Amino acid sequence: MSRSLGGAAVVGIGRSPFVRSSGRTTLSMAAQAAREALADCGLTAADVDGFTCYSTGDSAGPSQVAHAIGVDDLGWSLSVLGGGNIVTSTVAGAATAVLSGQAEVVVVYRVLGSQTRYGRALERVEVDGEGQFAGPHGYLVPPQWFAMFCRRHQYEYGSTAADLGAIAVQERDHAVRNPHAVARSPITLDDYLNSRWISEPFRLFDCCYEIDGAVAIVVTSAERAADLPHRPVHLLGAADSNRFGGSVDQWDDLSCMYSRDTAPRLWSRTGLRPADIDVACMYDCFTFTVMATFEDFGFCAKGEVGDYFRAGRATYGGDVVVNPHGGLLSEGYIHGLNHHYEAVLQLRGDAGDRQVRGAETALVTSGAGPFGGALVYGTAAP
Amino acid sequence: MTTTHGEPPAVGADPLSLPPQPVPDAVTAPFWAALADGRLAMCRCGHCGLWLQPPLERCRRCAGPTRFTDVAGTGTVYSFIVQHRATVPGYLDDLPYVVALVELDEQAGLRLPARIVGVDPAQVRCGLRVRAEFADLPGGDFTVAVFRPVDGP
Ligand SMILES: [Zn+2]
Repeated sequence: MSRSLGGAAVVGIGRSPFVRSSGRTTLSMAAQAAREALADCGLTAADVDGFTCYSTGDSAGPSQVAHAIGVDDLGWSLSVLGGGNIVTSTVAGAATAVLSGQAEVVVVYRVLGSQTRYGRALERVEVDGEGQFAGPHGYLVPPQWFAMFCRRHQYEYGSTAADLGAIAVQERDHAVRNPHAVARSPITLDDYLNSRWISEPFRLFDCCYEIDGAVAIVVTSAERAADLPHRPVHLLGAADSNRFGGSVDQWDDLSCMYSRDTAPRLWSRTGLRPADIDVACMYDCFTFTVMATFEDFGFCAKGEVGDYFRAGRATYGGDVVVNPHGGLLSEGYIHGLNHHYEAVLQLRGDAGDRQVRGAETALVTSGAGPFGGALVYGTAAP
Repeated sequence: MTTTHGEPPAVGADPLSLPPQPVPDAVTAPFWAALADGRLAMCRCGHCGLWLQPPLERCRRCAGPTRFTDVAGTGTVYSFIVQHRATVPGYLDDLPYVVALVELDEQAGLRLPARIVGVDPAQVRCGLRVRAEFADLPGGDFTVAVFRPVDGP
């Protein structure tokens, strides 16, 4: 039996509109994304036998969404607890279900409604678990955790606000060409530097844009994919890593992230290296997440990300196009599943004005801090 | 270590003026009990001596029983943030405030998140030596350990 994910492919993609506040339920948005993803690949509810999503307990579940779009007998349903850290496991899990015969056609989705906003916690006043040690000090939400990482990187490697700004400006520049992006007005480095402090060293433009919306992708076997309308997008390999029980406070080296462990695992499993990647959809809950993981995946040395971006190496005509859709920073925060949508669009050659010419491979990363993962998609089966 | 008593919260105060309150469980309760008693104690394996944060009932290295043991209360700022926006309840009158990961002297990598007090935020640096002191957590039921620079900024 093959130990590769290469027998699985993404054949359909769908989404609901990305908006700041939708007034819709998570079930409505997830059902819309799932319907569109199936229509995209010419399949119907009758063809679907698997559904999976990840959430932090804030989402309509897989059985509900499958039922809502007319699936009568769902053979495989898996709800995964987690955020950006678990996206790779969820997508690779769907592929594994297909490859092991547990399901033939699986819809993977993530939906976020207005009740979910991770950047602030103004209603929650009691904290259990590990949060009970941090929360009473006014330290509770992700922008604070990853600002803590960023500060250590600045201390150890001399990275600067201008380096973070180079990432924010580049991603916004890409979003200008993306009709689905919620933030499409270009920004300059001065705009970045003049944006208000949130959790110093993070400013407003270091933080992703939290929105309402859903994304769904359809995973099936490469054999089945050959009969469907779009050029299949093959999974070439995936890897995850988890350390310190997910504790951001105890993670040993805040200048790097999970990707320190994921990268060698992923490159070894796929036989690829950074120079082989055409499109990199880097998980960007914050600018610094891009910086740390980009280094860890080996695109450049520690402390060189700012220069890399300023030299135009992370955009069209450079070494690798990072987040051509504008990422979570500018397209919007659908918890990283929108990165998979974009990777598929790019590898199909259907990305319109923002198409990366000749794109054959896409790295998609997910997660930040002590846990996360990444996978590689390709236009050709491995 | 010294104790700093904050002002008691006003009756009927806006709940957003109170910082998040801890919910101790069977394993963490001794941490909070020690603080209420004016001691900073961390979870430690009774067999191999490993310090464990967050605390565990049994040691993750040797499965030995653990107990809370007093620490010196001295350490080093590993990293820190300056919180400018009220994104979390509490300390609204203290903005901007500093939160650090303090690496305790007892063991490399043994860290506690805590507010840093008694220093201009602009003077805080990674590597700063700090010492714990005790403060009432606004809300009335808990004491927390905050840290102050040892030799001034
Ligand atoms: Zn032990």
